[in-house]
Amino acid sequence: MSTPGSRPRVLVCDDEQQILRALRVILRDAGFEALPASTSEEALDIAAVSRPDAAIIDLVLPDGDGIELCRQLREWSDVPLIVLSAVDDEDAKVRALAAGADDYVTKPFGPRELVARLQANLRRTEPGPEEAVIEADGLVVDLPRRTVHHDGEEIHLTPTEFGLLALLVRNRGRLMTHRDLLVSVWGAGYGDDTQVLRAHIANLRRKIEPDQAQRYIRTEPGVGYRFVG
Amino acid sequence: MGGSLGGTRPNRVIGLTIAVTAVAAATGAIYPLKTVAPAVSLSVVYLPAVLIVSAYWGLALGLVTSLLSAAAFNFFHLPPVGRFTIADSRNWVALAAFTITAAVVSTIAELARGRALEAERRRGEADLVAALARELLAGSETGEALGATARRIAETLAMPSAAIEFGAFDGDERRRAFALRGGDGQQLATLLVPRGLPADTIERLRVQVVPALGVLVAIALRRDALQAEAVETAALRRSDDVKTALLRAVSHDLRTPLTAIVAAGHALGGGSLTPEERTELSAAVVGEGERLAVLVDKLLDLSKLQAGGAAPRLDWVSLEEVLLAAREGAGNEQTTIMLAIDPDVPALRADAAQLERAFANLLENARRYSGGLPVHVHVLRAGPRVVIRVVDRGPGITAAEHERIFEPFYRGSQAGAGRWSGSGLGLAIAKGFVEANGGTISVESLPGQGTSFVVALPIDPEHEPVPLPEEVPA
Repeated sequence: MSTPGSRPRVLVCDDEQQILRALRVILRDAGFEALPASTSEEALDIAAVSRPDAAIIDLVLPDGDGIELCRQLREWSDVPLIVLSAVDDEDAKVRALAAGADDYVTKPFGPRELVARLQANLRRTEPGPEEAVIEADGLVVDLPRRTVHHDGEEIHLTPTEFGLLALLVRNRGRLMTHRDLLVSVWGAGYGDDTQVLRAHIANLRRKIEPDQAQRYIRTEPGVGYRFVG
Repeated sequence: MGGSLGGTRPNRVIGLTIAVTAVAAATGAIYPLKTVAPAVSLSVVYLPAVLIVSAYWGLALGLVTSLLSAAAFNFFHLPPVGRFTIADSRNWVALAAFTITAAVVSTIAELARGRALEAERRRGEADLVAALARELLAGSETGEALGATARRIAETLAMPSAAIEFGAFDGDERRRAFALRGGDGQQLATLLVPRGLPADTIERLRVQVVPALGVLVAIALRRDALQAEAVETAALRRSDDVKTALLRAVSHDLRTPLTAIVAAGHALGGGSLTPEERTELSAAVVGEGERLAVLVDKLLDLSKLQAGGAAPRLDWVSLEEVLLAAREGAGNEQTTIMLAIDPDVPALRADAAQLERAFANLLENARRYSGGLPVHVHVLRAGPRVVIRVVDRGPGITAAEHERIFEPFYRGSQAGAGRWSGSGLGLAIAKGFVEANGGTISVESLPGQGTSFVVALPIDPEHEPVPLPEEVPA
């Protein structure tokens, strides 16, 4: 773990040297330090020795599969894992997230988006006081009082809708999978009931989103939702 | 009893003989019986004969037997014996009663016989229809089954021949035509039988065979259509699967260099670059851009091949020139490529540019997997063909992969072991161009023992003698 004040260190595992080079510069400009690895083996070694604060992992690696690497890292590390891959299908995303990845960014990626996701996931592991009142783009969520205001007007949510919104805003910027949301809000037995989740998200959006836009809650198709306000 | 009641009427001469014999036997049997019963009551002894003859030979012969019995009874046993006159009026009554009984017995037997015959006929009909259904529907294709079906009809109805043809045909002086219609009345096929058949056979054809056969042909044709549709659907689905896999592979292979270019571009815009990093990143943009260009060229080659648009422009081609050019085009990596060309290898009729693309891709592939060891190319003549072997000492491939490695975007299981950067298109392109030039390509390999790609090219794909200029007639 990095000492306070120093740059957070990010393990980057990709078999393309050119991408590693570019990521080193991009991450440095965003205030991180990159620890490059081009194979899973190298990545595991670096993770064990240098204890990075986060990891960015490609899915296609010369000595195996990035999903397997995520699983192995997750066995002993709670480090935020972001999968960076040219494989753009729901199935690969779901498998990566099930193996312990926290987020998924497809190639070619926008550096700002990658950095934003990295920061959102680092916030989760950072110790610090949790915000009680979250304000985002005109939407105010007061967690202790369980109230929601939009542009000063109070919005009435059902307990389930409030539970979903609270979970999403507490994990602002992070991808919450269907399963994460279902298990947290409904309980362990409801992990597969995505239809129920969809219905409640739709109701919640109808109440808080202006003009059916995805200003606050963004859908990650087939995978989950993310609070982006 | 049913078994003996054949479809055809038993011989009447035999029937008459039996009738006379039976009447004679009954007449004889009455003599001893007259000692225990009055003669006038013994006419019943004739009834079994009447019954048997009626049942087997029909009403007419049954009635003949009845009259014969009455006459014999009268002549031999009713007084005055030896004459056809009757003295006692009671005997008249007995004779009349016998004659009526015999006639009734004959009629009843005839009715039973008719019913049995009818049942037999219907069973035969059902058997024939069932047999025809088996012939027509058990096979895979109706057109092929028609011959066997026609033979079955000919056999069952004792005809010398029969044929079923699709479509409507008219009969001619030798053949008679029956239209075979489906449920909607449309004529689907024609049953052709020889002229001069017995009337009852024609009747049976018309009543039993033709209506059922028409419906069966309609069902069989419908079945064919459904089968063809299913095959077509499966083929479409397969081709869709291939397209999906291709699209996925293409998008993955385009994304990787694109990502490097976009990321390098962003990095180059950052503020903290060292001069070395700047050089590296701009080299990355150029290098990955070139890689994209090569990939796009290969995709174009492949799409041309798959669209069948790669018609070779045939000319006389020196394999040595082609292979030397291909070696140049196969990348300038460290691995050496050794060429060994037999002196008796002639020039080929082929498209030089296409062969160059094919061999450049093969050599590039061999180079990539040879692990730095030299790649050998042997060229020799084998009859009407030239055989080119491209041999590497790489990791080899399993037998299961021998077919698959020629599929676009297939990368061998060994490919992941090294740092592959191939497009996965090279072998598909090589195969496409070799085949477009009338050649064949195959692979011989065992894991751990390297791989040989064997290309065989016809010396002259058009099999035309090549006239040398001085041999051309003036």
